[in-house]
Amino acid sequence: MSTQETNLETKLDGVAKMPPPIESGHGDPLIAIRDLKVYFPIAGDGNVKAVDGVTIDIYAGETLGLVGESGCGKSTLGRAILRLVEPTSGQVLFRNYDLAHLSTRELRKHRRHLQIIFQDPYASLNPRMTVGQIVGEPLDTFRIARGKEAEKRVQELLETVGLSKRFIKRYPHEFSGGQRQRIGIARALAVDPDFIVADEPISALDVSIQAQIMNLLEKLQRQKNLTYLFISHDLRAIRHVSDRVAVMYLGKLVEIAAAKAIYADPLMPYTRALISAVPVPDPVVEATRQRIVLEGDVPSPINPPAGCRFHTRCPYMIETCKQVVPPLVEIKPNHFAACIRISPEQPDIEKVAPGAAPGLEAAARVISQ
Amino acid sequence: MLPIEMTNNGNLLEVTDLRTYFDTEDGIVKAVDGISFQLKRGETLGIVGESGSGKSVTNLSILRLVPTPPGKIVSGEVIFDGQDLLTLNNEAVRHIRGRRIAMIFQDPMTSLNPFMKVSRQLMEMTRLHLGHTKQQAYEHAVKMLETVGIPDARARADNYPHEFSGGMRQRVMIAMALSCEPELLIADEPTTALDVTIQAQILELIKRLKQATGTSVILITHDLGIVAGMTDHLLVMYAGKIFEQAPTKELFATPGNPYTKGLLRSVPDPTAEQGELYQIPGLPPDVAHLPPGCPFAARCDRVQEICHREFPPFVQLTADHCSLCHFAHEVYEESRAETAGRSSESKL
Repeated sequence: MSTQETNLETKLDGVAKMPPPIESGHGDPLIAIRDLKVYFPIAGDGNVKAVDGVTIDIYAGETLGLVGESGCGKSTLGRAILRLVEPTSGQVLFRNYDLAHLSTRELRKHRRHLQIIFQDPYASLNPRMTVGQIVGEPLDTFRIARGKEAEKRVQELLETVGLSKRFIKRYPHEFSGGQRQRIGIARALAVDPDFIVADEPISALDVSIQAQIMNLLEKLQRQKNLTYLFISHDLRAIRHVSDRVAVMYLGKLVEIAAAKAIYADPLMPYTRALISAVPVPDPVVEATRQRIVLEGDVPSPINPPAGCRFHTRCPYMIETCKQVVPPLVEIKPNHFAACIRISPEQPDIEKVAPGAAPGLEAAARVISQ
Repeated sequence: MLPIEMTNNGNLLEVTDLRTYFDTEDGIVKAVDGISFQLKRGETLGIVGESGSGKSVTNLSILRLVPTPPGKIVSGEVIFDGQDLLTLNNEAVRHIRGRRIAMIFQDPMTSLNPFMKVSRQLMEMTRLHLGHTKQQAYEHAVKMLETVGIPDARARADNYPHEFSGGMRQRVMIAMALSCEPELLIADEPTTALDVTIQAQILELIKRLKQATGTSVILITHDLGIVAGMTDHLLVMYAGKIFEQAPTKELFATPGNPYTKGLLRSVPDPTAEQGELYQIPGLPPDVAHLPPGCPFAARCDRVQEICHREFPPFVQLTADHCSLCHFAHEVYEESRAETAGRSSESKL
C-alpha cells in the first residue's frame, strides 16, 4: 500500500474501513462477507486492489446478481468466497465458520457445499477426460460414491441438466458451448452443494442458448433450494435471474437493491449510467430513450482514484467526492447506495442543489456505527 | 429469388443470390447460401444471427476477403455503386476496399498492428488512397483521432496500440475506417469485446459520425438490443439463409418468422417483469449436414410435416417485409393480432 493512501485514510478517520452488516429482512444469511479484501501484489511497488472492503450478505435460496465492468473485481470476489484466490483480509462466514481463515484441510470439508460454474465452457473442462470422469470426479474426491453407484449418479446428473445419459463416454470436444456449460453445471451439482458461484455462465453462449441455461439454473434452484451468486456484465441477464443485485465499481460495492428497484430506480450515478447504457430490444423505446454516456474509461485498479472511486467519470462530482470514500447508506428501504450527494431525504440526484452533499451526515452515521 | 423489386434508385449496394461455400473435411459448408438484399445511401442495415449463421461470411464476401481455399464465392452479384465487386480484378478491389468501403472488426487488438504507432497506421490509409504527403497524412490522422474523441489526440497519435484501452482502440479503428470518408462502413460486432458503458460511447460515436457524413452502415451483431436503436432495416440470418428481412420497427413489432419470434422472446427485457424466459429448444444446426426441409424445423414450435420435407418459400408479406417460412402469413397475422392486443391493453 502506498504511503499516500495511508495518509489519506488516517486523515479521513478510517472512513468506510468497516462498513456495518447490511440487514434486509431475509432472515439469516447463508454466507456473510465482511470487509473482504483481495490485493494482488505487482512487480515494483503496490497492489492491484481487486476487491477492497466488500461487506454483503447472501441469503439462503436467493440469487444475488453481481454486476460490473471488466476489472471491477466481481470475478475475484466470487473466487475469494471459495478461496480459489486467497483473501488478503476480511471474513467469509458460512455456517459459523470463517472460510477465509480455515486451514486447507478444514476448508475441504466445507467446500463441498460451495461450487462454481465457470465462464468458458471450453477452458473449464479437461479435454482428456470423458464426461463421465468429469462429472464423477467430485464424487470420488469427496468420497460420496464409487463404482456402479457413482456411474448411476452421473447418469442422473446428466439427465438433470438436460443431457442424454448416453453421453457419458464422450469427450468435451464433441459438444457445443451450451452442452459443455450443462456438463459444467452437472459437475457442480455432483456434490449436492448449497451455494453456487455462477461466474459469467452465459457470456460465451449464443443468444438462443443463453435462455436455455438461465432457465435451467432457475429450475435447479427451485428443485434443490440452491443459492446463487450470479456474476455477469450482462445487465439484461442479471435483471432476469436475480432477486437482488449488487453493483461493483473498482473493487467496491456501490449499490445494492432488489433487482426490480435497481432497474426502475437506480440511485448512484454509476448505476444510473450503467442501466441507461443497456440497449433495450425495442426500437420504439430506443428511439425515445435518454442515454447517459459516461466520459472516459474505468481507471486502473492499481492506483484507484481517492475518495469516491467513480469521481473521475461522474457528471455530478463535487470537490468533497475526491476526499470522502462513500459508504453504502440505506437511501430507500432495502436499497443501499454509496454516494454522498444523495440521502434518504433527498434520494434523487437530479434534484440535489448544486454543490450540496446531503448524504454526508448519513455517511458519517454509518461510518461511526 | 428476388422478392423486392430491383431498382437502382438510391441503392448503394445490391447483393443478389450470393453463395459462399467452404470445402471442409466435413463436406461442403454452405456458409452463405443465396442471399439478396439492398442498401440505400445513408441507411443502416443490421444483420443479426447466431454463430455460424453466415453473417460474418456475408461481410467478408462483400469485401472479397473470404480465405480461398477453403472458401469460395460460388455465385452471385455484389453491385456496389453500379460495379460488380465479384468480377473486378484484385487491383481494382483494393482501390475500393479501405477507401469507399471500410470496416471495423470485433477485436481492435488483433486488427491493429502492435508494432506500429497509431499515427503511422492511420497515415498508411490516406497516403495510399488519397495520395496525401507525410505532413498532410499526419495532420489528417490527428484530426481523425480528435473526431472520434481521443483526448489529447496530438500527443496520443504517436502511441502504440497497447498503450490504449479497449474502448480507445476501437475508436482508433473507427478513425482509421473513416479517414477516407467511405460511402459504406461495415461494422462486424464492433462492441462485443467492450464493456457496456464503453459500448454506449462507441454506438453514440458511430451514430453521430453517420449523421455527419451520410455514410451507409452495415452493422453485424448478435445483440437485438443494439440493432433496435441503431438500424433502419434488418436481416435475420440462420444457417446461411436470410430468414426474415424487414424495416427494424416492423420486424420487432410484427415478426413473420418463428425463429425471429423465438429470438425476440428469448432476450430478457430489462424494462419488464418476466416469468420464465422463452427458450428456443435444441442447438443451432450443423451447417455441413443440413436436413432437407427447413433448417429450423427441428427447433420450431409450430413445425408441421411439410417443414421436414420441403424447403420453405421466401414469402413476401408487405412491400419490404419477407420471411422464409411455409407459414409466414399465419405467423405474421398472429404477430399483428398480438401487437394489437398489447396496444389495446396499454390504453386501458
